[in-house]
Amino acid sequence: MTDSDSETDETPIGETRWVIPGGHVPTGSTGPEPEMVSHDKLCVLNTGPEMATLEVTLRYGDGHEAGPYPLSVASERVRHIRINDLIDPYAPPLGRDYAIVVESNVPVVVQFSRQDTRQAENATLSTMGYGE
Amino acid sequence: MTQDILDEDDHEEAGWENWSGSITADPDEILEPETESELQDIVRRCADDGTTVRVAGAGHSWTPVVETDGVIVSLANMTGLVDHDPDAGTATLYAGTTLEEAGTELHTRGLAFPNLGDVSMQTVAGAFGTGTHGTGPEFGNLSSVLTGGRLVTGTGEIREFNAEDNPDLLRAAKVSLGTLGIFTEIELDLQDTYKIQRREYCTNWRECKEHIPNLIEENRNFDFYWYPRSDEVKLRLLNGPGGGTDHDDLEYATLVENQTGWWQETIPAHDDIGREFDEMEYAVARENGLECFEKARERVRENWRKDVGWRMLVRTIAPDEAMLSTEYDREAMTISCIQNADLEHWPYFTDMEPLFREYDGRPHWGKKHTLRAAELEELYPEWEHFQEIRRDLDPEGVFMTDYLEALLEDGSSSEVEPT
Repeated sequence: MTDSDSETDETPIGETRWVIPGGHVPTGSTGPEPEMVSHDKLCVLNTGPEMATLEVTLRYGDGHEAGPYPLSVASERVRHIRINDLIDPYAPPLGRDYAIVVESNVPVVVQFSRQDTRQAENATLSTMGYGE
Repeated sequence: MTQDILDEDDHEEAGWENWSGSITADPDEILEPETESELQDIVRRCADDGTTVRVAGAGHSWTPVVETDGVIVSLANMTGLVDHDPDAGTATLYAGTTLEEAGTELHTRGLAFPNLGDVSMQTVAGAFGTGTHGTGPEFGNLSSVLTGGRLVTGTGEIREFNAEDNPDLLRAAKVSLGTLGIFTEIELDLQDTYKIQRREYCTNWRECKEHIPNLIEENRNFDFYWYPRSDEVKLRLLNGPGGGTDHDDLEYATLVENQTGWWQETIPAHDDIGREFDEMEYAVARENGLECFEKARERVRENWRKDVGWRMLVRTIAPDEAMLSTEYDREAMTISCIQNADLEHWPYFTDMEPLFREYDGRPHWGKKHTLRAAELEELYPEWEHFQEIRRDLDPEGVFMTDYLEALLEDGSSSEVEPT
């Protein structure tokens, strides 16, 4: 390993602000729960040496903001967070369009996924957020 | 005299609110007496002036039991241990002592409450007065350890009471919403201090459903949370170290917490969650409890999953003889519904409440419900006897407000807004 490789390895991958505009937790589900419950999910990767301290804010079409929801992701770890499971300070209403804003104290990578089991032919989608 | 007692800072703020902020009051005065005689002066002055006086604990209630535009009395200066007898297992506390303070004081003297609830910030008298409880089929609500005490009546007199001399007053006073008088000292029947092992497991309803009756029987204190948006369940088992359901018999669940400590340290501090929520809780007969919960679960899944993320909590309580105890003369299972304070709770609660009433449920006195005297008196066989004792101790109604009048005297749910 060269010095330059080492420096590269220590540089956290990602950005400190991420946005996912297309949030919408389906209200219905099919199949055994909790495995098959419809949900939106954030996947946050922290490749750096420090604990990532995040604030997640949800923004709705009527201008209402929910949150911030404080979250953390340990160093060199990934954490999956279902939007459905956020409760405090405000349980997000399901079935409404919203956007997700993630702000982190250190660079992280944010992926978004949705599981929609309203019909037996289940659907999943996944996309990266916009980072800056 | 009472002007000297006034805490000027509190008076300037002239406001009081409960812990979630959903109940507020704008009293003329908030007073913090330091002695029993000062408290007597306050009550007598209020009686002479025709002013209502209400005693506030920690504000850990969601009903307007404290709300008044008259005088609110805090017992924050009347706290601590009066005396104790470790051989007899008894102690006397000043009424404003919090459960956390009581836990520390009693433990250092080798004594303990046999059971606790989920919150340690409540004052002992306030927790007793609203029927606060923990869980466990062998344990009554917190007031079940009350054996006597002293209170300032509505005429400003001191009334001592105990099981030998006035058992009916004791049974009335245990759960009395501060309407018989203001406790100054309370005598408790306790036990030797002890250690508790708290284990918490995560699973889901379909996996744990059939095991719930055994878990109730096998563990000293057992309760569970059900999460409406995932059908997941958290099981909480409290036992003497090494006791309770064997870990190997819980293969359907994942152990997520395992702590052992002295009894008073096992109260979940709930420091990890906010306080801004509102709650409704009903106590139903234990033999119907799981059936009622199943229907409640179905109703939440059908009607409220979209809007409610908070968990439901299910606990058990032993029967007792306190006249207004929600566990009066029957083993109980309690089911509570919770909603964020910033979200609407009444559409949810009023949809769930008829189901609990179908099971002759009794609403928790400190949590949201819509029942009034006309409906409540049908749930309590000694209702009128309690009212007689209350009128005797508070003949001019110095402790009564419009809310309490509706609740205890002549209320009709059709005439009063939900609270």
